[in-house]
Amino acid sequence: MAYAILRNVRYAGLASCVPGESVSNLDCPPEQRAERERLVRNIGIEHRRVCAPGVCFSDLAQRSAETLLDKLGWDRSEVDAVVVVTQSSDYAYPGTAVLMQDRLGLPQSCLAFDINLGCSGYPYGLFAVGSMVSAGHIRKALLLVGDKSTNTDSKDMGFVVLFSDAGTATALEYDESAPPMHFDMHSDGSGYKAIYCPAGGNRMPLEKHHLDRVVGPDGVMRRAVDIVLDGPAILNFSITRVPPAVNALLEAAGVQAEGVDYFLFHQANRMINETIRKKLRLPVEKVPSTLLDFGNTSSASIPLTMTMHTRERLQGAGGKALLSGFGVGLSWSSCIMDVRGAVMPALVEY
Amino acid sequence: MQVAEASAVTGVDHFIENFLIAVDFQEAIEITPETEIAGLAEWDSLAALGVIVMFDMEYGKTITGNDLKASRTIADLFALAA
Repeated sequence: MAYAILRNVRYAGLASCVPGESVSNLDCPPEQRAERERLVRNIGIEHRRVCAPGVCFSDLAQRSAETLLDKLGWDRSEVDAVVVVTQSSDYAYPGTAVLMQDRLGLPQSCLAFDINLGCSGYPYGLFAVGSMVSAGHIRKALLLVGDKSTNTDSKDMGFVVLFSDAGTATALEYDESAPPMHFDMHSDGSGYKAIYCPAGGNRMPLEKHHLDRVVGPDGVMRRAVDIVLDGPAILNFSITRVPPAVNALLEAAGVQAEGVDYFLFHQANRMINETIRKKLRLPVEKVPSTLLDFGNTSSASIPLTMTMHTRERLQGAGGKALLSGFGVGLSWSSCIMDVRGAVMPALVEY
Repeated sequence: MQVAEASAVTGVDHFIENFLIAVDFQEAIEITPETEIAGLAEWDSLAALGVIVMFDMEYGKTITGNDLKASRTIADLFALAA
């Protein structure tokens, strides 16, 4: 399925939460300063938010959801569904959404399940929850999206300097007067090794030696439980798949690029995001970024960017946004929606 | 023939200019078509990503990490842009 349209779904609100602690990629010994400045210049990431020990993605998402529910004035007994998109759940099982039903005080009639996606996950989550709302089965729903991607134990500097933690909450509501939402979604599992964690699942059950650090064929020291990133493969995937998908969605939806107020891309790194922007010939002012201050926050990067840079504009007269996420899977998805009137509180710090 | 040779020289010179911008090395260096890529003091994964972007944007070509590893010299890399 490439293109889909959802009706009767109102984007009711969004809240984003990040850890209060910020670390700098320029915090290094003086002899490494010039090299780090080159790195920051190219990846576009200077500051990152890192969860304190013991804090999980779900804690950030819970804070977001509580803030959003309060601002919306929704009675928690009215929430029919809570869906979580994450790859950093509290436990291997049960899934995090079920835990959130209890922690948020939602009724036991609430439908709750997880979706295992990363950087493409926000449009996917909107589609999954939006589909249930659109059909009229669910009247009010929460979508909790994000990850705790940082790993302070990692020795892979190519990984460490990119990632940051965030949790977000989005509210969708059945509304027959809501403008349509347009979606375009793709998957290519043949590229799964571009971003993956080899050990700890059922394919390679955890053994003691998986915790030993070894230098891989790419010269990077990792444990088998650490994430492997194939930079060239990720880069090529992103810059060749995303621009045509965005253009295809615009065409299918019958929307001109000039009529879109903001293009909100997953915040991968500056090289990738700038290449995508240039290939689509989009003006800088229509493509906001949170890379510099928040790094790559996985599936939370699109909603976090909405909270930080576009919330006032998107709530006003110009509310048309095109969202595009891409990454682990490989998976990529885009969405065009109108968020006029949505409740968007300021960023929450945990 | 002379025109073709002149064009090739211009092409590789321009390629080297693009290469130096793409790798964003901190120290200015002299590069010729015979320069060995792996021998460049600041050649690293970041530089490799910059070169991949350069190929896509400047030459409309997708090159892989393996293409880069298989290219010993700047001339080998330039051949991929043709």
